[in-house]
Amino acid sequence: MFKAQQQSKTNFLSNNLAVQIQQLNYSFGIGDLSKQVLFDISLELPKGQIVILTGPSGSGKTTLLTLVGGLRQLQNGSLRILDQELMGLGDRDLVNVRRNIGFIFQAHNLFESLTASQNVEMAVELTGEFSSKRDQAMAMLSALGLADRVNYKPQSLSGGQKQRVAIARALVNHPKLILADEPTAALDKKSGRDVVNYLHILSRRENSTVLMITHDNRILDVADRIINLVDGRLESERI
Amino acid sequence: MIQRVPLAWLNLTHDRRRFATSLVGVGFAVLMMFVFSGFMNALFDSQLQLINRLNGEVIMINPLRTNVSVPQTFARRRLYQARAFEGVQNAYALYISEVNWENPETHQANSVRVTALNPDESVLTIPEIDSYRQQLRLPETALMDTRSRPAVGPVAIGVISELAARRIRLVGTFTMGTDFSSGNGNLIMSDQNFLRYFADRGPDEDQRSFATVDIGVIKLEPGANVERIVETLQESLPNDVLVMARDGDNGFIMREQQYWEENSLIGFIFSLLTSMSFLVGVILVYQILYTDVADHWSEYATLKAMGYRNDYLLKVVIQEALILSVLGFIPGFLVSQLFYTMAINATGLFFQMTSERVMNLLITTFIMCLVSGAIAVRKVQTTDPADVF
Repeated sequence: MFKAQQQSKTNFLSNNLAVQIQQLNYSFGIGDLSKQVLFDISLELPKGQIVILTGPSGSGKTTLLTLVGGLRQLQNGSLRILDQELMGLGDRDLVNVRRNIGFIFQAHNLFESLTASQNVEMAVELTGEFSSKRDQAMAMLSALGLADRVNYKPQSLSGGQKQRVAIARALVNHPKLILADEPTAALDKKSGRDVVNYLHILSRRENSTVLMITHDNRILDVADRIINLVDGRLESERI
Repeated sequence: MIQRVPLAWLNLTHDRRRFATSLVGVGFAVLMMFVFSGFMNALFDSQLQLINRLNGEVIMINPLRTNVSVPQTFARRRLYQARAFEGVQNAYALYISEVNWENPETHQANSVRVTALNPDESVLTIPEIDSYRQQLRLPETALMDTRSRPAVGPVAIGVISELAARRIRLVGTFTMGTDFSSGNGNLIMSDQNFLRYFADRGPDEDQRSFATVDIGVIKLEPGANVERIVETLQESLPNDVLVMARDGDNGFIMREQQYWEENSLIGFIFSLLTSMSFLVGVILVYQILYTDVADHWSEYATLKAMGYRNDYLLKVVIQEALILSVLGFIPGFLVSQLFYTMAINATGLFFQMTSERVMNLLITTFIMCLVSGAIAVRKVQTTDPADVF
């Protein structure tokens, strides 16, 4: 079914794609010092899939993820996120694109001064839904098994709990695309597994697409698809 | 109701000890500004204390008297002439001289300023002159300023000491304060007593009589046109007197203030010290804000990745700056008040904390923190969310 989608260019089918990348190249630096890190990437991610991006360090995984996340400006090629072309967008427009994407980082990056709920509410405030932000945050934290921890500050939470709060913050606005960069790298085996399980369940429930970088072989089983990136080129795919 | 998570407040107060240290730092910068500007204002204000109490709309002096402390006198008959003009109700003479006062306890001689007047006329708006009028009429009596420097010894009714090597008795006290020209304190006595002490002094010293006056105080009839009378008096009287209004832009008080502003280093020195305190405050607040931004760098970058714009982060830093300025100002202000009280007692200078000056310093503190915030915020704005990955 995936192959059929890849070959088709009809509107109906492209609407079913969360990410569509065509002939994407990217280099760091200018002039003689320029070093190309991504070569001719073409990739389509249908909605609702969990895709794991692996590859040796320095292969350009993170660069690809930041491009998909609208955190860098494109240089050439085409990149469509949720039916919006990112090529040629300025910084201001990219901010708007990012509001529809959930970001999960290796570190939880939670404000120590805010409670779990307040950290999640910071994301809801971007949508302007101030009156219901507390309820939304509570609901999402409960879905991540943190109903009894909503008023705790990060320093009284375990590593796995903090990462789950970070996931709640990424998911609370129900993004259709979730980008995660080694979300389990800082966690022990069990909490890492918990975090991935929650991510798995919730992305299925919301029908979101997840693009996740990981070196963690223990969690590869949740993937619908595994993409391997070597030296800036798409090497192989396992489905 | 729109209720944002108060990120600025929570970030600042999260670490209580650091927050308290920050407030102490800002408070100290505020205190230094209050101290230095306080000294500057006190030195200027003190020069005006005597002339602020002159009870007349028009002042007459010798043109060579560029400020109150210059001992240049004019003929008293000019005051009598002035009384003849329309609109003039009365013209009073004020005699000023500097002389040694002996501390009754240590027997050390210290110079004080003697201001003499006819106790039956209201030349100065000092209520104690009226209440001690009977006693002032007695020979060898005077009132002493309770804000005189400690060098003059005890200031109280009944103190007997020596003035110009002659016996004197304090029959009352009043409250004014010292300035550059008042030496260690102020005495007020009747003009009759003034003659007793100053009419026949030694051959080396100026002899004083009623013939010459230091400051002429002209009281106008109610509703009189001050400007016109000043003009008429100056035109009609000889050029050996200078006539001017007491208040207003060209007035006597303004002239005295300008003299000290232009002819002393007070303004320069204390403005410099105040600006340095301001700079110290800027650097301090910048350190506080920068540390907050640097410590939360990846959190702020995450906010940017999530879709917050630079202006939100700018607002957070500016809010932090404003919180610091307001909450740091309060302890700085309170300690300054304590300092002013102590400084009044120690120096006799006229330290006054007017609401205008407090407002000015509050605004200065705002600006101080905003400048720091503006510098610190550049760190947040250059934060590249792509670097968090």
